[in-house]
Amino acid sequence: MERAVSDHWCAGRRTFEIIAMESIHDQACIVGIGHTEYSKDSGRSELKLACEAIGAAIADAGLKPSDIDGIAKYTMDNNDPIDIARNLGIPHLRYFAEVAYGGGGGPVGTIMLAAMAVATGQAKAVVAFRAMNERSGRGTPRFGQAPTSEGAAGVYSYLNPYGLFSPAQMVGLAARRHMHLYGTESRHFGEIAVTCRHHANMNPNAMMHGRPMTIDDHQNSRMIADPVRLKHSPVFIAAGGLGAGEWNHRSIVKNVESRESESTVIAKTMFKDAGITHDDIDVLFIYDHFAPLVLMALEDYGFCKRGEGKDFIGDGKRFRWPDGDLPLNTSGGNLSEGYMHGMQNTIEAVRQLRGAARCQVKDARYAFVSSGNAVPTSAMILRRDA
Amino acid sequence: MSHDAFPYPIPEYGTEPYWEACNQERLVMQRCTVCAKFRWHPAPLCTHCGDDRHTWEPLSGRGKIITWTVITHPIHPAAFSRVPYVVVEVEFDEQPGLRMLSNLVDIKPEHIAFDAPVKVGFMTHPVGQKLPIFRPA
Repeated sequence: MERAVSDHWCAGRRTFEIIAMESIHDQACIVGIGHTEYSKDSGRSELKLACEAIGAAIADAGLKPSDIDGIAKYTMDNNDPIDIARNLGIPHLRYFAEVAYGGGGGPVGTIMLAAMAVATGQAKAVVAFRAMNERSGRGTPRFGQAPTSEGAAGVYSYLNPYGLFSPAQMVGLAARRHMHLYGTESRHFGEIAVTCRHHANMNPNAMMHGRPMTIDDHQNSRMIADPVRLKHSPVFIAAGGLGAGEWNHRSIVKNVESRESESTVIAKTMFKDAGITHDDIDVLFIYDHFAPLVLMALEDYGFCKRGEGKDFIGDGKRFRWPDGDLPLNTSGGNLSEGYMHGMQNTIEAVRQLRGAARCQVKDARYAFVSSGNAVPTSAMILRRDA
Repeated sequence: MSHDAFPYPIPEYGTEPYWEACNQERLVMQRCTVCAKFRWHPAPLCTHCGDDRHTWEPLSGRGKIITWTVITHPIHPAAFSRVPYVVVEVEFDEQPGLRMLSNLVDIKPEHIAFDAPVKVGFMTHPVGQKLPIFRPA
């Protein structure tokens, strides 16, 4: 992340421009991306994975470690920024931050933290990253596990005693309500999962490469927390990459009736700030933790109206490269490329805008990227220079 | 305690009346002194108007089903002997939008329906704490 406009803050007499800044629009840019392979057993530490991915991104940007002066991390990431700086040879840091709700809020949230630091002159070049081993880790904490403690405190005291633990179970409640109110069917969720798999099968780096899936496969897959099926759920992985995010949310289970959601709050100003409309988006990256939440994100971000997600998705073909008019998660997403807490979507968005994607959308100029919804979240629009 | 049970609730400061009433098989909630709205789950300030003054008042325990999920995949050791079980969201008759999460029991999953009436009951956690649950009314 580097500042796009570098002369704003050079002279003291121009200080008012900082105060007058109305949005993050064009104040920062992504200059490098990097990632490791995605696997179920990386055979190395999360620190090693982070350093490999960040090192690749720094090289991709044409920078040196000594050019980096900030690190933005996911709250859930087990790596310490100082450990990363020490190992990569970053001599000093002027900025470090972590995004709450990251987890799913991280892929855009970390990017926004980095962008704000750069835009306000707190740092010049900030790294945003996510690295995890999950199941194959040696004692490092893992996301999505049921608690092992005997007692549940805080908000969990109202959930865990009833056997309510996981995001999949929460999503089951919200998805069923959505189906009831708006006539959404399981197959509409399924087309999202099928789309991600379709793209993963064109991406040799994807966990699900070589494992095609049809809508019938989806409909016949095992129930996890009805109506959430196995094929809605992510493939957890053991490797790392780079990415970014922001936030919003109120109740325990996503209320699909409330007018304002975590995503609508963001959508309210985002397209205006970007100076474009939804029709200008060439390629979509919706955080795909659970297919039902992708449908809800499309509605909440205003790509269609509430309750019309099923019609927007239809048979799903519009999301599939090369013939679809709005390709979605073109490297396979969390569901099929690898569950990098969304960072792989940000990387792929950058590839698309560089014209360097495998499933390259012709003349892609604007990419929409969101973090995980149904919790406080974040989203961004990326663009390339004309 | 072993893995035979789901986690028991640890009452936070200020929420003790909720759990103590449960043990007497009464469902109570905080009602805001200023705007008269109930809130669930227990919270220090009114989630509608932000005032901290409140009284604990009993509810009828009657409401309707907003949504539910049938949990078939056990992710907690205690879940293996319980699946399938039902987590339900209930809206109370007293106030539109006043909803709580719990278990729905004494009904086959295929018979559950939206807006069906339910009534609170109580089950006892192995540690002795009673928990509000719901049954078809």
